[in-house]
Amino acid sequence: MLNRRSFIKHTALGSGLLLAGGFPFDSLAGERITKLTILHTNDVHSRLDPFPMDGGKYQGQGGVAARAALVSKIRAEEENVLLLDAGDIFQGTPYFNLYKGEPEIRAMSMMGYDACTMGNHDFDAGVEGFAKQLPHANFPVLVANYEFTGTELEHKTQPYTVVKKAGIKIGIMGLGIELQGLVSPSSFGNTKYNDPLPVAKQVSEMLVKDKKCDMVICLSHLGYKYDGNKICDMDIAKETEYINLIIGGHTHTFLDAPVSVINKAGRETIVNQVGWAGVRLGRLDYIFSSKKDANLTSAQSVIINK
Amino acid sequence: MSRICKYYLYCLFVLLGTSCHHARYIQQHTASLYTVDTTAGKEQQYVQMLQPYRKTMDSIMNVPIGIADTILYKAQPEGTLGDFMADALLQAAQLQDSHVEAAILNYGGIRLPYIASGVITVGKIYELMPFDNQLTVIEIPGDTLIRFCDYMALAKGWPVSGISFAIKDKKAINILVNGRAIDAGKVYKIATNDYLANGGDYCSFLTQLKRSTTSLLIRDVCIDYVKDLAKQGKHLHPYIDKRVYNAE
Repeated sequence: MLNRRSFIKHTALGSGLLLAGGFPFDSLAGERITKLTILHTNDVHSRLDPFPMDGGKYQGQGGVAARAALVSKIRAEEENVLLLDAGDIFQGTPYFNLYKGEPEIRAMSMMGYDACTMGNHDFDAGVEGFAKQLPHANFPVLVANYEFTGTELEHKTQPYTVVKKAGIKIGIMGLGIELQGLVSPSSFGNTKYNDPLPVAKQVSEMLVKDKKCDMVICLSHLGYKYDGNKICDMDIAKETEYINLIIGGHTHTFLDAPVSVINKAGRETIVNQVGWAGVRLGRLDYIFSSKKDANLTSAQSVIINK
Repeated sequence: MSRICKYYLYCLFVLLGTSCHHARYIQQHTASLYTVDTTAGKEQQYVQMLQPYRKTMDSIMNVPIGIADTILYKAQPEGTLGDFMADALLQAAQLQDSHVEAAILNYGGIRLPYIASGVITVGKIYELMPFDNQLTVIEIPGDTLIRFCDYMALAKGWPVSGISFAIKDKKAINILVNGRAIDAGKVYKIATNDYLANGGDYCSFLTQLKRSTTSLLIRDVCIDYVKDLAKQGKHLHPYIDKRVYNAE
């Protein structure tokens, strides 16, 4: 991997073909190599401040000011960065009790989040409570399996978005967990939940075949996996064909490395999740080529700053 | 315009155009992980953005209510945070109705992993119980309560007070209510929150039962419990008393 990276850097400097506007560079063989860096959080739960220095496990960790500094540092080093969140932005500190999510959404907008999905706790101030904070968001809320017809959120979320970074087309979709039994019916109101698996199949296939996306990312609040047969990220990974990466949430799972799954089409789908409360920031770096001869290697995981 | 110039303009158009997309293929990926701490510094604009919110919040939340002389933690089958919450709930419910025999809360409703020993503030209890859930008393027939205990056993143990049982093969055994073996034919008054009473955490078996919902918030019940101890000059000190335990 390191050799490959130094080769890429060397080629970029040597050929001088790096074009303006974030265009990738060409190797001598005419191959375009581009790097995409994906940063992600989940279940931040209104943790705008770091955990207090009280001797606890996460003391001094988390907080938007430190996360923003880390994101800025990475943005200064990498050209093509996506910043994503897998839901449960709301609820967990008195900030939410008093301000109903306003500073949380404002901080995410300041940090340049590209998209988020909705978690069950994002309904804690009701559908209208979430809708009320959306004017503070400069990023889309993606959820493909909730229907908000007749609610305050109608037309305010979208099933997916397509982002273009340095010539790479990235389709990003969102999936939400079943609300019945988890969220008070008075909070989710007329929100209709649809089975995430057929929705994931349909949207991801459309993103690849119709929208010509080079990569499909699914922001999921379904949960990593369960003892029972409740649908989870591992199911979505195994049972679909076109999703490259699932950024998960809900189960507050601290994965020390992403999990690699062979999907229905025999290709690789990566599942990741970074615990909760914003004490960790996940990062995945993808190298894209204009040539199809993919000699895909499995994920290498490096624990930085742990 | 020369032909060469036109050619370059054409190329530029093609390159910038969105209709023409050259496919890219994932070749490799690597993963890494950051602990979010102040290694990369702190961005002051966020500190400033939060300042007005924090000022009001601190004036309400940084109010001490009592002292814990041990660390309280969230754990299964039983943890001291859950014990504290369930004890507070049962005490508050019994003040309203002396026939309430036990209290049950959902494990997922404990929203902090721990509370450190020392001074407890209002804000800490808001973090522990951020939801505006209300104290609700449900009349549960004994056979349904056995089912409820089995459900809690399957879920690896929930916070209870006034009830005890052992978990064996994902079922509840040796169930005692108020110190006596559970009677399948008796109806028990059990304190819980409106979230569970409304079928939350998949407790749909509770929704049809007779109940009385109070306007008391579970959070305020916890705050008052700590305050009452402080008034009596006592510290909060829950301990594991094998209410819910794994059978040998």
